[in-house]
Amino acid sequence: MSERQDRTAGALLGLAIGDAAGWPAVRHRARLLPPWTRRLHRELDAFAENEQVTTLPVPFALNQPTAPLRLGPGDDAEWAAWTLSWLGAAAPALSRDDVHAHWRAVAVGGALPRGRISVAAAADALRRDLDPPVTGHDNPHHFDDAAAVRAVAIGLVADGPETAATLAGWDAEVTNAGDGLAAARAVAETIARLVRGEPLAAAWAAAAAGLPADGLLAASAERALAVTADVGSAAEAVPLLDEPAGHVYSYGVAAAQTLPVAVALAHAAERAGERPIAAVTAAACLPALADSAPALTGALTGAAHGSSALPTTWAERCRRLAGCCAAELAGLDLVELAGSIEERALAAADREVTGGGSHKGKETSVDQ
Amino acid sequence: MRDRARGCLLGLAIGDAMGAPAENLTAEEIAARWGTVTGFLNDRPSGTDDTEYAAFSALLLLEHGAELTSDDVADAWIRHLTGREGGFPGAGFSELGTIENLRAGLRPPASGRHLHSWSDGLAMRAAVHGVYAAGDPATAARLAAVDGAVSHDGEGVHAGVAVAAAVAVAMTGTAMPQEIAAAALAAVPADSWTARSLRAGVVHAGDVPAVLDAVVVRSYPWTDLAPEAVALAFGAFLAADGEFTGAVTGAVAMGRDADTTAAIAGALAGAHGGLGCVPADWRRQIGPVTGRCLGEVVAGLHPLDLADRLADHLEADS
Repeated sequence: MSERQDRTAGALLGLAIGDAAGWPAVRHRARLLPPWTRRLHRELDAFAENEQVTTLPVPFALNQPTAPLRLGPGDDAEWAAWTLSWLGAAAPALSRDDVHAHWRAVAVGGALPRGRISVAAAADALRRDLDPPVTGHDNPHHFDDAAAVRAVAIGLVADGPETAATLAGWDAEVTNAGDGLAAARAVAETIARLVRGEPLAAAWAAAAAGLPADGLLAASAERALAVTADVGSAAEAVPLLDEPAGHVYSYGVAAAQTLPVAVALAHAAERAGERPIAAVTAAACLPALADSAPALTGALTGAAHGSSALPTTWAERCRRLAGCCAAELAGLDLVELAGSIEERALAAADREVTGGGSHKGKETSVDQ
Repeated sequence: MRDRARGCLLGLAIGDAMGAPAENLTAEEIAARWGTVTGFLNDRPSGTDDTEYAAFSALLLLEHGAELTSDDVADAWIRHLTGREGGFPGAGFSELGTIENLRAGLRPPASGRHLHSWSDGLAMRAAVHGVYAAGDPATAARLAAVDGAVSHDGEGVHAGVAVAAAVAVAMTGTAMPQEIAAAALAAVPADSWTARSLRAGVVHAGDVPAVLDAVVVRSYPWTDLAPEAVALAFGAFLAADGEFTGAVTGAVAMGRDADTTAAIAGALAGAHGGLGCVPADWRRQIGPVTGRCLGEVVAGLHPLDLADRLADHLEADS
């Protein structure tokens, strides 16, 4: 396996390991059990509230197979794999219209994997015949990190960092806008640079230079890096990142929160000479962000250090998908998937707009 | 002008109080529980955050006038709100997000750049900017944007600006409901979520299922999206052809963020028709603001007194 192949597998496997490490994974995987198990879970939550007991329910199988509830990846690994799968079947050079057409066809056909609110809202808009970027912009969760997670896959497929950012922007604008879109571009570019051997700090700095200055993401990322600049390990950084995480809103998947935490923990581990798993397990210690911050942390550190730097114990448990968001992905082996990746370029007509923001070349820009 | 200012602020308070029990319910649930909405849904109607935050913004206008700056607004939030302990009853995500940002030392516009910058928290209080700048939608829009920069960004500001501009035009007493809605649209970027949603509200006004279908994002569990709220409010206002009782009850009956949508519809219709269009028995039910949400800074203020003070300024300037 070449270094590039090792890093590519590391990014994908790292993402899956981080996805599995966060507590929400088991809730996503619980979708593989009958609905009544989740209804009883909700009833037990109410029971604990009513009876004032501290014993909290966890997803359980009762008389069902227990396999779905074992440690393993959930939604994020499946979305990355889904993205790799359709890009792998696409033409070697992609246009913005190709990307949008794919989304429309899958959404209209009802074949999208279960996804975040941004994805569900965009799918609904596509079915109503609205076009991107309106589908991502007129979207209550335009700020979430659904596209940033898909961007890990795009960073692995793209034929270079600029292609990665552009392609990720086209994909992101279907479901996201503002920081949600900027995060996707930055993640794709960072991953593309990392698998080509650039050091983490340089790769992130290059990608972060493209973040909109007036967005929340740029400021949060800078702040997360600043407050953790002196820690001696990723674990030590956790309490310092609790505040940037924010505790006002009901969902912890905002790109402006999860990505800065992932970036800061990856940097902290890097400076301390720690392996990827140290950063990933640290990220899992921030409960509000545990749905995706550990996955993004795993992708960044896995891409930087390669699959050979990931613990076998984790890799063996996390390399196969459960199919909890897309049934057709059940059993898919991420290491094999990583080995099958072929580079994708931008279609000639779209190449000239590379790096100039994702809204050029089409008249349907939206006010930000 | 005084009569319209009174109609507007009383209309806002009535809509707020009438919509409060229906907040976060669906049109079907409201119909099942109360049948056709013809008035207040409970015996002791009470205003909520909409009236209190509108009163707060009115005080800022009375203190600073057209020279109001976002820093003035931020300082007032810090003086009266950020130090409060034990939570902020009635506040939404955008208010607490703002308070947390101000506590962290951020100033506008950074203080308004939180995850919920698209909430309807500015739209619910922006009618007072329209009253203050009666007949001058550009100034009303500017003042709403100045106020909103503390707590909102993007679509949240657009929606507030739309309400302020529309009320400013309604305050002339000569504009038709369609012209009032057009003023709202003219004040926001044509290529914005707010504009697209408002246009849908205008096109489908009178067809409740069609309005709801066009502007409600079903896969999102909260109801406080500003583009949706203003579309429902203007849809109700237009469906009633600007008539007060129909506008307010129509907004309440659609549910969602019903206190806010009915407050906006009531402010529009009250400014359009003046105090005389407000049923007397509804008017009697509205008392001074309790201060449950914002505390002493607004407690005891009556919407009609605030309207009179804003009207004093209008008369002094004319």
